[in-house]
Amino acid sequence: MIRKIKTTIPLAALAFTLGLGPALNAQDGKAKILETGDFHGKVHSTSGRATIYREKDGQLLLRLTNFKTSNGPDVHVILIAAKDAADDANFLKSSTQRVELGSLKGNEGDQNYTIPKGTDLSKFQTVSIYCERFNANFGAAPLEKF
Amino acid sequence: MTLQIGTWLSRRKWILIAIGVPVLVAAWWAFRPEKLWINQTVDEPAPFASASTPQPLYTGRLEGKAHQTSGRATIYKSSDGKEYLRLTDFTTSNGPDVHVLLARGDDPGLQQEIVKGSLDSVELGSLKGNQGDQNYDLPAGTDLAKYSAVVIYCERFHAIFGTAKLESF
Repeated sequence: MIRKIKTTIPLAALAFTLGLGPALNAQDGKAKILETGDFHGKVHSTSGRATIYREKDGQLLLRLTNFKTSNGPDVHVILIAAKDAADDANFLKSSTQRVELGSLKGNEGDQNYTIPKGTDLSKFQTVSIYCERFNANFGAAPLEKF
Repeated sequence: MTLQIGTWLSRRKWILIAIGVPVLVAAWWAFRPEKLWINQTVDEPAPFASASTPQPLYTGRLEGKAHQTSGRATIYKSSDGKEYLRLTDFTTSNGPDVHVLLARGDDPGLQQEIVKGSLDSVELGSLKGNQGDQNYDLPAGTDLAKYSAVVIYCERFHAIFGTAKLESF
């Protein structure tokens, strides 16, 4: 009986550390900058920086800073599954996979967008300012590890 | 007679209006031309702009010159107002008397692998390691608008191992 308890306690302690360890790490995981990149865009001159943050709770966030693009109808912020979008490739191929982050809040200024849970950043490597109505890429920022 | 022409004209006018107005409205809705000169400015705060965490000011990718160099250079401002350079994912070749400098972004010397003459630069110290994350304090009052390039520089042979062009974060 005593022996059983003796083995149970370390086992319980082990299970506790194993189970709680990752949870504690996730809690510990400070807000962090994961990736960043500069915007380029010729057709509708677009400039500024796109940065992906991971918040304390693991939520991913895209932030645009020093940002400027042309105003337009039905403009959205999307992540595309591509290394970059060329300046002259103003229009996105229909086969390009994308993650919608929402309507562009403003064509100037600092702004944040929530990235849906489970988005694979190793696949979606470029931020695009995208006019849905005309399938036009206003500008793109290829993301690189920060 | 004149009355008939008048009604015919006004009917055509009405048809034009009936077709023209929706077309104009549709075109306006599609192109929203007024947005060409109307800006929508926003100003949201950074996700964790707490005063205690250092804030990145400038960042850039390191590119190799005389020797393969890669990684990221970022200038941070800490809560006490001090600025420092941090190298991350950093790799360069080891060498003698290698220093970290800030140089003028438009300095033609940066285009060369071996600098002839001297670089107008701000010394940040000897390279602490040729691999790994590392921090360097900036002298107070460094003009980062002017000294906007990070240079990994071998003083002995005037060789530029690598440079990073800093851009505002």
